[in-house]
This record gives sequence, structure tokens and C-alpha cells, in this order.
Amino acid sequence: MTEGKELEGLRQEVRGWLDANAPRGWRESYDNHEAFAQSQREWFAKLVEGGYAIPHWPAEWPGGGRSLAEQKVIYEELARADTPRLLLSFVSTYHAASTFFECGSEEQKARYLPKILEGETWCQGFSEPNAGSDLAALKTKAERKGDVYVVNGQKVWSTMAQYADKCLLLVRTSSDGPKQAGITYLLMDMKAKGVTVRPINQIQGDQEFCEIFLDDVEIPVEERVGEEGQGWAVAQATLASERGLTLMELSYRMQGALWRIAELIRKNGLEEDAGVLRDFGHLVTRIDCTCAIADQFLQNRIDGAERVGDASLVKNTYSRVLREYSLLGTRLGGIDEQYQAPITFGDLNTGNWMADFMNSYAWTIAGGSEEVQRNIIAERMLEMQREPKDWVAS
Amino acid sequence: MIELSELRDAAQKAFPADELIPDRDESWKLIAEMGWLMMPLPEESGGLGLGRDAVTAINLELGRVLSSAPLVPALLTVQAIGASESLVDRDSWIERTCSGEYVALNLLPGDIALADAGTLSGTLPAVPDADMASHVLVFAKGLSALVPLDAPSISVSERKLWDESRRLFDITLDNCAVDESLMLARDDASHDIANRLHGELQLALAADCLGGANAALDMTVEYLRTRKQFSRPLAMFQALKHRCADLKTHIAATEALLWSRAVDADASVTDLGALKALAADVYRFVTEEAIQLHGGIGLTDEHQCHLFMKRAMLNLSLGGSGDELKERAGRQALETYSA
Repeated sequence: MTEGKELEGLRQEVRGWLDANAPRGWRESYDNHEAFAQSQREWFAKLVEGGYAIPHWPAEWPGGGRSLAEQKVIYEELARADTPRLLLSFVSTYHAASTFFECGSEEQKARYLPKILEGETWCQGFSEPNAGSDLAALKTKAERKGDVYVVNGQKVWSTMAQYADKCLLLVRTSSDGPKQAGITYLLMDMKAKGVTVRPINQIQGDQEFCEIFLDDVEIPVEERVGEEGQGWAVAQATLASERGLTLMELSYRMQGALWRIAELIRKNGLEEDAGVLRDFGHLVTRIDCTCAIADQFLQNRIDGAERVGDASLVKNTYSRVLREYSLLGTRLGGIDEQYQAPITFGDLNTGNWMADFMNSYAWTIAGGSEEVQRNIIAERMLEMQREPKDWVAS
Repeated sequence: MIELSELRDAAQKAFPADELIPDRDESWKLIAEMGWLMMPLPEESGGLGLGRDAVTAINLELGRVLSSAPLVPALLTVQAIGASESLVDRDSWIERTCSGEYVALNLLPGDIALADAGTLSGTLPAVPDADMASHVLVFAKGLSALVPLDAPSISVSERKLWDESRRLFDITLDNCAVDESLMLARDDASHDIANRLHGELQLALAADCLGGANAALDMTVEYLRTRKQFSRPLAMFQALKHRCADLKTHIAATEALLWSRAVDADASVTDLGALKALAADVYRFVTEEAIQLHGGIGLTDEHQCHLFMKRAMLNLSLGGSGDELKERAGRQALETYSA
């Protein structure tokens, strides 16, 4: 098959490039936040230069236009070479980019997309203290005053907001009608007056998520994506990228990093331990399933055959398997994993399995919790009847 | 080229979802008429030349209705015959088996010994539907051959299974002479056929598991949607919804791997075995939950829910235990994922 040969060629090309360019010793260098951010920026810039940072973007972008099969090869090789995940540019290259490609004006595309490749980073201002699983209940208020929106409110669980230059922001412009109808999508400069970011101390001792406080922040009207009141639909474009492409990358990265478990088994001299081999074999097959369902999902989307709930199946599979993966690593790593690691950003391959385990909750809770996905699967795929909506406190 | 969706539709029409465990002999006739026995053979040897995904689609559909006909072993022996270079009258054997003569096969390893005199002795366990077979395919050290079941040195005995959708027999050979004209292959060639059949068996069982798991979940969801307690359908309770959603997620993820391995020519026997082990786990889990979610009615013989559970439990054993298959997968992964 010719495609097979081409892919093999790409694999060799990526491998050769990584031999020369992959950062070494990055885990050790992540011992303070500045060093982490610096290292992430440098690695992103290098990947952009090499043409491997945005294989999922359209072909007119340098390094874009890769087929799904090609993207998979790139992700596998990045994981195999043990390179750091692009945590800092995750939201900019996926969420922000998908939003611009699908819903942005020509002007917004021209203004923001090239900047992403130059290293401008984005965060997402969606969730609020009282709008988590029930995102549409968000209350952050934007009032139109002339050419600007004046925004007041609070956002939470914004990943890496402390480093972000810009923010994808959901605000309420109207309280009339269904709650989804009053939502508007804005692009906010994180350096604007009135924006305060407070990182949240998490269970793994780090600060990946932040709170964002908005106090009379002025956002120009031209920074709106879509029309006023259309923000909910635009947000779906943002979230769709999370449930599709990102999960394919993450699944193949998880598979590509399986050598870390294999290495632990060898290090512990357990190569002949039937119980350990079984658990490893089971995990490998579960990861293979995760890659297969992520593939199938994207193929269906390309073919226009995606069904409601398919994305939830992919997300719940990935997040559970990630938990299983980090648990097996934690078990095999033994006491070593119980000593704190300096920096633990990222959901896998931080170098400390206990940290990976704690990070894995990000996937069962964020981006629509596992429980919300279960409701979608049960009610919209299996057609199990919904509970009555109204509830009156007694 | 026949589309998979056409095959699936044809199978669902021939074997409607609401008729579980359709009569075996009627089913067998229908299967032969549909031409399914010819699916895996290349067109030049009189087959349909369909890929493994077509076979998988049919096995999945027949798993859905708890088919009692031995299509899984029959498709394996048809392929073994097709691959043979020494079988005398091979073309006529292909014609006979493709049109419904059944050559049986054991679905668990046998202990057949080859004596110096060239005779075979030992037991072939778990042979489906040996009562309707003319021959059994026997693998012994260094050879594989068809053995007629009416030979005096052969005894066939059935033990009743919990799984009422299937019949399994033990076939015992006592110094059974091998007819040279019925020899399929020797040495490496025989080993290759055995290996290939083993992989195909794992894939077929995985498809059977996932077909059954889908049907058991459908049946359970339908029950929960209909049955009312506390003045509302049980399906409205989130505690039950979430359990069904998890079952659906497990099935969907494993089915994605089934379809991807079905078309992956590089998938090893170990890969297919790992798939079967996981699919059988999923089938077991879904059917275990199905009975619990049905409540008391699920424990009655009158309701059909238990039929899926019993087949799932049997599938855990057929083709080798999950422990063994997973251990092998782990060993292979240890090689694959070296730093």
C-alpha cells in the first residue's frame, strides 16, 4: 500500500527531526513556574518551526493540512520521544483555533491565528462558581455601553490562565428567555484593566487552574464572536474540538508512552509475573480501544455521520482509561511515586505516576463531567426518559 | 463488492432481533442459502472473497440473536480446507462445505497424540454441534486432517451446558487411523493453518460477545423504559441511567477496536486474543448488570435475560481464558513498548 509507505516516510522524518530537536531533561527543568513556561514556549516555537505544532489546522497554515493518519503518526512519535505536551498552547491551538476557523470573522482570523503560531496563548473563561455542569446558568454580566461591553463577574477552572495573553469568554448579555439565548461570546485581553487572575492550589500541589475576577472590564464590541446572544452556539464549536481532535492526540500520546509502564515492569524484575503481565495486557488493550474509538469518532465526523452522544462515549472512555493507566503506574512505581515531584503540570507523563493519577481527574471532571456525559449517553443515545425539570425546595 | 451495511441488513432480516435462539437446523439451512459459508474463501476457489470485516459483521449479528447454529467453527474449517494443498478432491470439499456440509472443530485445545503407527488418540473438547457434523478437523503434532465421525474408533458425547443456545460435544479418538486422502497439511503448513484459525476464532468470538452485549443492553434499556415504579419509568432514575451509560461506553469502545482489528492485516493472534478477552469481559459485565437491572423478573426462566448471561459466561472460556490471553498480550506489549 502506498499510503503505508508514505506514512512510514513521515514517521522516519519526524523521528529524525525529534532526534535532533526533542528537548532533554525537561522534567528536571520544570522545578519552578518560570522555567516551566519558558521551556513550554521554546518547545512550541521549535515545533512550529519544524512544522509539527498544528498538524490539525487547515492546509494553508505551515505544518497544517495533515490527514488523520498523518496526525496520529506525529502524536505517536512525539510521545515515543518523550517530549513534553504543549500545555501552554493547548487552548490556543485547539479551542481558540477551532472557534476562529468555525465562527470567527475574517478580521478575527487574520488578527489572532498568526499570533497563535507566534506563541500568543489563550485560556477559556467558561465555568463559574455556580455554573459548572450547568454551564448555561452562567451569570457573568456584560452590558453594552457604546462601542464596548462592560463585564463584571467571576470565572473559574481556567486552565493556565496565569500565563494566558487572551481569554475565550462567555458572558450573559440578556436574562430574558431560555438561559442559553442570553449568552454572548467575547475575546478578552488578559492584561485589560479590571482582570485579576488567582491560581488555585490543587491536590497535586500545583496550580493548573485559575479563578478570573472581572471588575468593570471593557471589551470592544469587535471582539465579539458571532452575534449577541449566539454565544452558546459558538461555545459548542470550542467544545467540539475538545471532544474530538484533542482526545485523538491524547489517546495516541497515551499509547505512545506505554513504554514507561514496560520500563517499570522491567525495572522491578516483574517480566515473568503473570498477574502484572495480565494487568498490563488488559491496559494496553483498553488503550487500543481508546485510540480506536477516537479514530472512529473523527472519521464519522468527517463523513458527517456523527451521532449525538458519540463525543461523550469518547470522552468517558479516554478519561477512565487514563485513570486506569495512571493507577497501574502508581501501583508498579511503589513508594517512589509517593514522594512529591516538584512540578506536576499535565495529565500524563509528568514523571510521577501519583501526580498523573491526581491529574487524571481533570478529564473525568472538566469539559463536562463524566456524570454529565453519562446523562447525555443515557438520555440522548439510549433514549431513557428525562427526569422532570422543575424542582421545588421544600 | 458487498457493503457491510447490506450484509447487516440481510442478516437482521433473516434473523430478526425478537427471535432469540432460532431453531438450529432451520438456521443452518438459511445460513447456507445466504451463502455465508462461502464468505471468507477467495473467488477463484468458489468463495465470495469477502474480508474479515464481513465475517465479523455476520458473527456480530448472529451473536445478537444468540444463534444456535455452528457458523463460527464452520467458517474456520472452510478456511482450513481452502488453505490446504494436500487434501484430495479439495474443490469438491469446498463445494460440499460451502453448501452446508458441516466439518466441526474443537474450540478449546485438545490433547491428541500421534502414535508411531500413525494413529491418533485423545480428546477434542468443546466441539460445537458434533451431532450434525460429518467430519471433525483434527490438529496433532505435525499434521492436520479431517476425520469422519462415523469411524468406529471415535466416540462423541454431549454434556448439557448452562448456555441453552449452544451444544458442545467431547470427541474421543482411540487409535484412529488417518486417511491419507483427508490430510490437510503437515509440519509448518499445518502449524500456519492452526495459528490462523486460532486468530480467526478469537475475532469471531469477540464479535459474538459484542453482538450479544448490544442486544442485552437494548433489552435492558427497553425494560427500564417500560417498567414503572414510584409512578415513573425506571429509566428516569439517574442511578440506573448512569449504569446503562457505562455499559454502552464499554461496548462502544470495545466495538471500535473490533472493527479496527477486523481490517488490520497486521493484527497478531495475540492482538485478536486480547480483543476477545476484553469483549468477553464486557459481555459478562453487561449481562451481569442486565439481570440486576431487570430485578426479580431477570431471575425467572420465563424472561430471556438470563440466556445472554449464560452465553457470556461460556464465551469467557471458549478460545482460551481471559487470564491466559491477557498475559500473552502483556508479554507481547513488553516487547513492543521497549524504550
